[in-house]
Amino acid sequence: MQQTVSLPKINFTEVFSTKNGAIYQSDSEGCWYIDFAGKLARFDYRNLLKLKKAVYQIDIEDLLLNSDKSADLEIIFICACDHCYVLSLLQIIKLKDLLQGTFTMLELNHIIFDRLHRIIS
Amino acid sequence: MKDIIRVKCLLSSDVETLLNQQIKKEAHSSAIYLSMASWCNRNGYDFSADYFFKQAEEERQHQLKIYKYVLDMGGTSISPDITNIKLEYNSFREVFEDALDQEISVTQSLKNIAARCQKEQDFITLEFLNWFFREQREEEFKARRALELFEVIGEEGTGRWQIDKHVGQIVYSSEA
Ligand SMILES: [Fe+2]
Ligand SMILES: [Fe+2]
Repeated sequence: MQQTVSLPKINFTEVFSTKNGAIYQSDSEGCWYIDFAGKLARFDYRNLLKLKKAVYQIDIEDLLLNSDKSADLEIIFICACDHCYVLSLLQIIKLKDLLQGTFTMLELNHIIFDRLHRIIS
Repeated sequence: MKDIIRVKCLLSSDVETLLNQQIKKEAHSSAIYLSMASWCNRNGYDFSADYFFKQAEEERQHQLKIYKYVLDMGGTSISPDITNIKLEYNSFREVFEDALDQEISVTQSLKNIAARCQKEQDFITLEFLNWFFREQREEEFKARRALELFEVIGEEGTGRWQIDKHVGQIVYSSEA
């Protein structure tokens, strides 16, 4: 979580990663970069929450059981966001995994801030 | 690493979700009261119709109060869609029974939000909710008093006409 990767100009902190992707936070820009499905996409606060909602809403069980669905692909489109994902069922599961880990780490970071930094300083 | 989400929004996502559910509940209450006003009007209970029109307006204000609070705290408030509003009642009395039930369920759901706030030490939302708890005292009192008129006056003869006349006069005046 504290390992900082230096890329040209911007500093990223890795929030969470799996072997399928990673999410980084940029403190200076106040946003996140999602490295998944072969692209690096920037998400601000609102869009990250919208992505979370969109992914969490997908009924994976239903997709698994419903074999009559013609394509095994789901399009994740987010209003007023430059990115959209066209993902297979397996990729959706992986993205959900990545997001769940990320939000757990962000929550943990929040707790650390509340209990440590914000009280003492 | 900065705590960006907290900088953007005071509410936890759980509390935000609960407040949005409450927004829906208040909107639902408003719609129910409006429907009761319609029924009372159609059946000749003019004072009760007025009473429920006023209640509907109050619930609308409750809805907006929470709606704006969520926005002010950096959250996303969701405009709810309301369906399945009862149109017909079996009796004059049933209207008031339903009204009290509705208020009790609103109180319960507010308690549930407060419990959550207490758990995560969200004293700000807790303090915001205090206004609603005070309001529920009055709301439950009025609904209960209205229903009691059916016992006190009785429905026989011109009873229902009397009850209707008294409904608008119920006031809660406790200073405590
Ligand atoms: Fe209310
Ligand atoms: Fe009410």
